[in-house]
Amino acid sequence: MFRLSETTIDDSDLKTQTLNPSSGGFVCFEGWVRNNNQGKDVQKLAYEAYPKLAIKEGNKIIAEALEKFDIKKALCTHRVGLLTIGDMAVWVGVSAAHRDAAFKACRYILDEVKSRVPIWKNESWSDGESGWVEQEEDKN
Amino acid sequence: MKKFEILFFGKLKETWNTNKLVIESNCTDIESLYEELLTQVTDIPHKESIKVAINDEFVEWNSVISDQDTIAFLPPASGG
Repeated sequence: MFRLSETTIDDSDLKTQTLNPSSGGFVCFEGWVRNNNQGKDVQKLAYEAYPKLAIKEGNKIIAEALEKFDIKKALCTHRVGLLTIGDMAVWVGVSAAHRDAAFKACRYILDEVKSRVPIWKNESWSDGESGWVEQEEDKN
Repeated sequence: MKKFEILFFGKLKETWNTNKLVIESNCTDIESLYEELLTQVTDIPHKESIKVAINDEFVEWNSVISDQDTIAFLPPASGG
């Protein structure tokens, strides 16, 4: 399931929801707000979403991952609203019988969410300016 | 004349200086509606990078629009 959250992401609750007795592996990715981007000092940022379409597209990506990889469960939550340095921006968790599928599915979900789900980042910098962040090059 | 609700997100909100417009138009597809909307702005966005949606579904630029549709223009996603 894909969710948007206006409050702090509860990663332990998400992990509990993802684990299950038939899975021997759990892979998780957490994306955190860092204090720099594209050579600028970031003070804070805001994520804006098109909620209805974001949830539809996010759930489509989760369904694709369940179809493509031999996994048991996959969840993703993305923050919206105002975030400060060190806040968690996105959480992806996958459980599977074995590690290979779990790693691959986690990577797939994150990459697809970043490129397809209608969410936009507006950064505020130390020089007092702010602006919408362009889609970044793949930093892997 | 048909009535449309137009939604702008991200940097496109700044281009049109609003996140929502309600307009009347005779346009029959998104592409022609977009051309009409461009007459309101000076900073022309790169159309190739914009995705479009009708009533909360991604669609193609040549999709037909109907009276009372909500049409959204979406810049490239930058989440994560």
